Parts: sequence; structure tokens; C-alpha cells
Amino acid sequence: MTILRNFMRIANSFRPVQRIDNIFFLSWRTFSSHGTFDYDLAVIGGGSGGLACAKEAVNHGARVAVLDYVTPSPQGTKWGLGGTCVNVGCIPKKLMHQAALLGESIHEAISYGWEVPSPDAIKINWSALTEAVQNHIKSVNWVTRVDLRDKKIEYINGLGEFKDPHTLVATLKNGTKRELTARNIVIAVGGRPHYPDIPGALEYCISSDDIFSLGHPPGKTLVVGAGYIGLECAGFLNSLGFSATVLVRSVPLRGFDQQMALMVTNEMEERGVAFHHKCIPLSVEKLESGQLKARWQNTETGEQAEDVFDTVLMATGRYALTKALNLPAAGVTAVTGSGKIAAQTEQTDVAHVYAVGDVLEGRPELTPVAIHAGRLLARRLFADGLQHMDYENVATTVFTPLEYGCVGLSEEAALDRYGEESIEVYHAFYKPTEFFIPQRNIRNCYLKAVAERGGAQRVLGLHFVGPVAGEVIQGFAAAIKCGLTMEQLMNTVGIHPTVAEEFTRLNITKRSGKDPNPASCCS
Amino acid sequence: MSKAICKGLRSPIRSLINLRRAKTISTSLVHNETILVKNNEEFVNKVMNNDKPVIVNFHAEWCEPCKILTPKLKELIEPLDNLDLAIVDVEDNAELVHTFEVKAVPAVIAVKNGLIVDKFIGLVDADMITNLIDRMSGKKKPS
Repeated sequence: MTILRNFMRIANSFRPVQRIDNIFFLSWRTFSSHGTFDYDLAVIGGGSGGLACAKEAVNHGARVAVLDYVTPSPQGTKWGLGGTCVNVGCIPKKLMHQAALLGESIHEAISYGWEVPSPDAIKINWSALTEAVQNHIKSVNWVTRVDLRDKKIEYINGLGEFKDPHTLVATLKNGTKRELTARNIVIAVGGRPHYPDIPGALEYCISSDDIFSLGHPPGKTLVVGAGYIGLECAGFLNSLGFSATVLVRSVPLRGFDQQMALMVTNEMEERGVAFHHKCIPLSVEKLESGQLKARWQNTETGEQAEDVFDTVLMATGRYALTKALNLPAAGVTAVTGSGKIAAQTEQTDVAHVYAVGDVLEGRPELTPVAIHAGRLLARRLFADGLQHMDYENVATTVFTPLEYGCVGLSEEAALDRYGEESIEVYHAFYKPTEFFIPQRNIRNCYLKAVAERGGAQRVLGLHFVGPVAGEVIQGFAAAIKCGLTMEQLMNTVGIHPTVAEEFTRLNITKRSGKDPNPASCCS
Repeated sequence: MSKAICKGLRSPIRSLINLRRAKTISTSLVHNETILVKNNEEFVNKVMNNDKPVIVNFHAEWCEPCKILTPKLKELIEPLDNLDLAIVDVEDNAELVHTFEVKAVPAVIAVKNGLIVDKFIGLVDADMITNLIDRMSGKKKPS
């Protein structure tokens, strides 16, 4: 049989199915009350968690449909299949962070002997950067779609909501609605950036949804918010040559170890990022020139200030997209005040409705967490799996210009849980070998291990500020999962010269009061 | 040559539509034009049912290597009148992508008399491309 005949068969079979579609759905709906569903699993949300769950489910023979839809941002930005991480999160963020680091490397190279003609003329071409980033994202969107098709997962590009506990309605872009029933439903809708309720926010400000595809260079930027999104954005914008100012409402990186957060922001300040602490935005207005005038207030002194910027980026938190789901129709009531879903084992208060990813209350909002939880859930549903997601000791990294990687408890959390007498904190400043020649700032290169004080001193948390922090911490996350103790850590021989080896060299405790600054290399 | 005869038999409106579709406007109707595949029917008519062998290039706008390979293929194939080039944009032709199991771009499939006779994935070097073209246009004996 020639390919032609095979192809003709596929091409012809494609059309008839569409015509019979309506009849199929009518008959399915009549049957569903008798317990026959269109799908074994319907996943609302085609992001990290949703897709991982769907793909794992088909591996175990389930019939799966994935609903994914991107409501345009206030500024009109949209994107394809893959969720936040792929389109407006981890991936473009890391690429822009890399672009920023490379820009710095060009200058450092000069001190290593590279002859760089006119270093002062080196500047970023914003549209070339965004084009390269968006091209990569599109390739990932495409591979994702091809993958779903190959795995025979039905992909519906529509906004899903509940009609009844087992029925979803997807509203497509052209307004048509499509109903489907499923035995199990997984809510993996994630979240979107929150905009403060101040004049000008929605009309003139952008968010992380827009920055990675911004059609013009951002220029002088005000970043409102000092969580990891705000700091990462301010960080790479500043390194790319766009002046950045950050408004901090309470503390930077709230929830993270505050000593390390201070190191991160100190480094950013030393690189030229301006911080306004204890400040909240009041208004943003557009000037005739097209620029934006932002007003803010210091909540401690009451003082108001303002300045003119080209771009104002709101990074004031994210909210879960549960409102649009019409959860009451499903009978799901386990929704917290913030809109997130409370589901300890990913199962809501309706037995066949589950949730994974950022939409979950009290869980780390990280892609690998969503993926892992989604997979384990699919195994429990379709493969008699018993394993539940372990949300403890999840490593993460903040990709600010000088990165911060950590796993386990912050010092504050450890003190809170165990008390000062039962905790030992080992710490040290260090000097990366590569920093000497270009005379890079080593003031904020610091790491610490928070451990139990007694016995072999089980490690409770590891914290590292420095280059390639993510790469450094990853291996240690596995060690902590194995119950790493300070004894084992100190008996591990380091790889030299690296920055990761500094963990094996830890020996000075905070309690001792000794100077944690390094004397010299190799001794 | 057969293509010129085919063109004469088609309605004038059809050839006008085809001319409009073709990105490269050729000076003579006998001269080769690149086939831009927009849907399955077009693929069946112009590639599978083509008397001449066709090199099918799966292309994506967001793919850097495609931006190098596709113009190169056009440059090499357009002057030939016994070999056609068809460009399939992977975003517009999901079924074709699925049928031919294209998992990465650029992908080049050589079709002769409705059969796949060769397949390349990725940006291959100039020698491999010219080799394929020579084999397909009958200059060399198939190896």
C-alpha cells in the first residue's frame, strides 16, 4: 500500500468524524447518566502539572482530554499550549537571565585577555532577544502539541468550567461551546499575575505575562513587588542595561530565609538597582510623552514620592484561576480565601475532582512540584499507585543576577520549629576562583547549613548565594532526601576548584562567633 | 514539461490563484515554482499526484535552521524543471505533520510517485542536499 493510499484514508477519515461528532455527543450524554463517560480523565489546564498528569494517565491506558486556554493579559498578550512555565515563566525568565549573564561575561572576558573591540558599544538588541526567546517558546508549544497528538490525548483549546460534577463546558475562542463528561477531573489551572487596585494599573502597567514578548525595549522600569518574580525581572533588566527600581511593600523574598534575601538584594543594589523599602504604589498615570508617572507612599514615614518611567511592571503576587471554573457546580467547596484549592493529597472534597500545581493551597508554586504531583496522581488513579507527593525539602532557586539556591528549612523556620538551643548553623563567605581576575564583587558570596544541634547533626536546610546556585543545590537536595548529616557533609571531599565544594568546607558555626570570612584558597 | 501541459489544461482562474499563492513569482509559466502547501488537498494534488518527484520541506517560522535550509532548497530546486519543492508550514498542517511523523524541524522528505523514498531530519550539509537532489532529478543512479 503506497503512502498515498494510506494518506488518502487518513485525509478522508478526518472529515466524516466531524460530521458524526454531534451524534456521538448526543448519545454520550444520554448514556452518561448510566455511568459511561466521554473520558476517563479530563484535565483543565495544559501547563506543567496538567500535561504531566495527562501524559502519565495515557501511559496507563486512560482516555484523556486536556483543556487549555489563555485569557489575554490586560495588555493583550496571549500564548500557546504549555502553561506558565513554558510561555511566561521559568523558560523565558531563564533565557533572559542567561542573556544578562552573557552580557556581563563579555566585559569580564576582557580581563582574561580577550580583545573585545569597543566594549562601550556593546548593548542589547531587545527585539533580537525577544524574537529568539519567543521562537524557542513556539518550538516548545509545537512539540507539546505534537506530543499530545501522538499520545492520542484530545486537546481542546477552550476555557473550561464545570456544569455538574462530571461535566465540563469548554468555551472556544470563536464562542462555541463544547461539552464533555469525565470520570475523573483534574484542576490544573495555575494562576495569573495580580494587579493592585490603583488607578492606572490595568491600563498602563505590564506584568510578567507581557515582559518576555514586549514589543519595544522596556527602558527605565519600575518593578512593583520584591518577590522572586519582581527581583528576577529587575535583575535581568538592570543587567541588560535598562535602569530598574523596585518597590518593596514589606520585605524582599518573603517566605525565604531573610539573611539570604538580604545578600541577594545587596548584590542587586551594588549593581545599580534602586530599592524603595516599605513602599506601596499609589497610582500610575500616562504622560503626554507616553512615559508613565508612578506615585508611591512609604508606609512607615507616610512620605510620598514619584518618578517617571518607561515601563511599570507589576509583580505583586499571583492568584489562582478558580473563579472562572464555576466550582459550586461541581460541589467543590474546599477553596480558601485566596481562591486556592485546599487538597492535602490533591483530592478535593468531591472525590473524583483533584487539583495539582499552583492552584493548590500551601504548596510550593514550582513546575517540578506540579509535574511530580501530577504524575503520582495519575499513577494513583490509573495504575494502582500508592505513592503520595512529598512536598518537603523541595529545592528551588531564585535567578537574580547573583543566584540564590536553597533546599529545606530557612533559619527562621528551623528556629521556630526546633528552638535556638537545638539548632546549629554553619556558615561561610567564599571567593569563587573565577571572580578574582575580573575583580567581581565577592561580598555577597555566602552559604550556610542549618542543622540539628545534637548527634550527627541532621541537615535541615542548605542555603547558597552565588553563581550557578541552581546547579550547586540540586545534588544536595537528593542528599537531604537521604537524611544528610553535617558529619557526612564534612566528610565529603569537595571538587576543586568549584563553588559547590564550599558546602564540604563548612566548619564555622554562627554560635562560635568566629569570623566566617575565608582566609585564602586551598587551605 | 508535463507541468506546462497541466497548467495549460487548468482553468485560467486556477493558475492565477496559484501564481498569487507562490511566494516566488517566476518569469515564465514553464519555470518551476515552489509549492506552498496550505491544506491536505493541496498536498495530495500537488505532491502525491505529481508526475515529478517532489522534495517536501517541513518548515517552521520559529526555527532558525529552517531559515537556512529552506532558502537553500529553493535556490537549488527552482532552476530544475524535473523536480519540485513543496514547503509545508508545520503550524498550518498538523495532520501532515502527524501522518509523516515529523517530530523535529527542519525535516525533508523526498516523494516519488506517492512513495517516500528518502527522509532527512535537521539541517544537513550542502553535500547531502545536492546528493538528494541529484538522485531525485535523475542525474545520478540511486545508490
